[in-house]
Amino acid sequence: MTYKPLNASDTVSTRTLLHEAIPLTGTIVSGTYSDENIKNFAHGMFQSVYDYPYLSSSANHIFDLTLGVHAQGLATSVQTSKKKNIYNQMAQVLMGYDATGSVQKFDEDGDLLGSGQKLNEVFIVPFSRLLSKDEIKKETFELTLGVMPSYFDPMERTLVISDYGASTEYRVNSPVGEYGILYARDGRLNTGSSNLDASSTHKVSVGGVDSWYAGLLFYQAGVMVLTASLLQNGGDLLDVGATLEFERDGTTIDASIPTTSISGAADDFRRRIKNIQFNNTTELNSTVYFCRANHNEFNYSSNPTYVNESKVRVKTQATDDPVSYITTVGLYNDNNELMGTAKLSEPLKKNPSTEYTIRVRLDY
Amino acid sequence: MGFLDNSGDIILDAVLTDHGRKELSKGDGSFQITKFALGDEEIDYSLYNKTHPSGSAYYDLEILQTPILESFTDNAASMKTHLQTYTDLELLFLPVLRLNETDRKTERRSNGSFYVAVNRETEDNDGSSTTLTGVARDSDGKERKGFIFGESLVGTFVKLDQGLNTTEISPKRRLDSGLMETSYTIQIDDRLGKLVSTAGDLASPDYIDDDHIAYYTMDLGDAFVSRITDDTNSPSQVIRGPRGTSVEFRIQASMDLNTSSYLFTTLGATEDLDSRTATGSPKSTVLYIDSNVRVMGVKTGVFLDVPIRYVRLQ
Repeated sequence: MTYKPLNASDTVSTRTLLHEAIPLTGTIVSGTYSDENIKNFAHGMFQSVYDYPYLSSSANHIFDLTLGVHAQGLATSVQTSKKKNIYNQMAQVLMGYDATGSVQKFDEDGDLLGSGQKLNEVFIVPFSRLLSKDEIKKETFELTLGVMPSYFDPMERTLVISDYGASTEYRVNSPVGEYGILYARDGRLNTGSSNLDASSTHKVSVGGVDSWYAGLLFYQAGVMVLTASLLQNGGDLLDVGATLEFERDGTTIDASIPTTSISGAADDFRRRIKNIQFNNTTELNSTVYFCRANHNEFNYSSNPTYVNESKVRVKTQATDDPVSYITTVGLYNDNNELMGTAKLSEPLKKNPSTEYTIRVRLDY
Repeated sequence: MGFLDNSGDIILDAVLTDHGRKELSKGDGSFQITKFALGDEEIDYSLYNKTHPSGSAYYDLEILQTPILESFTDNAASMKTHLQTYTDLELLFLPVLRLNETDRKTERRSNGSFYVAVNRETEDNDGSSTTLTGVARDSDGKERKGFIFGESLVGTFVKLDQGLNTTEISPKRRLDSGLMETSYTIQIDDRLGKLVSTAGDLASPDYIDDDHIAYYTMDLGDAFVSRITDDTNSPSQVIRGPRGTSVEFRIQASMDLNTSSYLFTTLGATEDLDSRTATGSPKSTVLYIDSNVRVMGVKTGVFLDVPIRYVRLQ
């Protein structure tokens, strides 16, 4: 007998969650490659960020960046419809519709029916599936954002934006799965309020630490939505003691959003990204096959070297125990077609006094 | 494929084969794993040293140090040798497969390969008395040794016998039923040829994998497999001990080889063979492709690779 049937008790299906740490150093996003890794499109709706100059075949797409403005947000004069279209598109995909069929706005605390504040001007960052895989792991996301008023030294003061507490508190009222609330905290202390407005209406306590609503993070969709107010000093969120220069010429973000293009705003936003990191999750569905070689099975071989003139080499006389060596497990279907193989890292000696259960796991 | 790290715990490197992935992609439920087999293709049992001066613990020292390659995803390249289960643990002899070339009709050519002439031109110029470039017949019209006529399906055929090839047991003794092979799987490159019986009947493959390897299963009692009934020391037998079954087949050249030289120029080379003239000269140049046909016993796992050379007049 060559093949041994696998019965129901020899097969089991399992699910494993695999996590990878994804660190995105800000300099890759804003300078290492002199923006040769930033791809802008003629349509101007978004820009794509790569981890290497995008003309190289080695480059991997890591995320996109765009700006959305709701019709009730700032009145814009440049790419007005595109900014509005982006907002509506992302909102209808990520937040869905209300009972009247209207697109729901991004809500800072995820309480869509309550009176919480809506986000009208948002930066939207869809991460590549290469990075986020099946989903972003909850409470691992962290964005460090430079908020120094000076355009030229933005990282002197920072905010840390994270989905604090999201592993136990997240929202499920989105059509694209679960999302968490992003909170901003001061970057130097990771607590306290030195860069944030202590009297802000966006302030809440998360885990006993003062935190400020900063946006939403959609875990399965792999999309971050960040309020533009984060970069507006005195806008009821940020308090860095002076006007924050969003553009090179000192223009503030509330003045910039109406008059700059999406890609221009994306450029200015990118240069304030100091670091992004998160863990992704890959869901591995596995089937484990327990291949059981009993003591009286698989003790001989059809290997041509096993016999010499039909005589078994590993025996001197008939009563000697047969011996074989396992190096490979083959998995077959009913028609003896080879569906999978597994290799042992070293030969396993098999004779009538040994039994093995070899556990072969196939991941899907 | 690299070697697996064997410095620590035993690890298992498992992959789906390319054929397995193909079946999985069909999404029709044809991907099902219902059985397993164990293999030992890296093992050279001649390294088993029963006379090691340090004792039995050292008999397999070299075998256990054999480095193992990572898994191949090519289904045809994996699991070439299987471990076998026989209830009798006191077997000293195991069956083998051998080419039976005792008849001129079953002999290979002198270079050790069976030749398949892929069209009538290559066989004998379709019987022409003026064009004599064909290579499978001589000037008298006799079939040359080792030539399978791939279009007209006559000439040489391949014959393999199974049994215990030892003089220590008489052929009169019946082969134990557990050692008697009753089914064979034959693998052949479907781009090159198809399996036909010696009577010229075309067989149907069980399936053809993604690498164009066709798998046929032949059972005892059909046109391909028969019981060896001769238990004498006849010179027509190559199995010297108890005999089991015999497999016989011819090969029909594929339509591609029959009608085009494309695959020959892609995969092959050229050689000069005797033509149909009285002296065999001038020789005819043929294009050729070398391949193997693998015959494997389903029950006993014994196998033999039969070398095949497909030839076509240039």
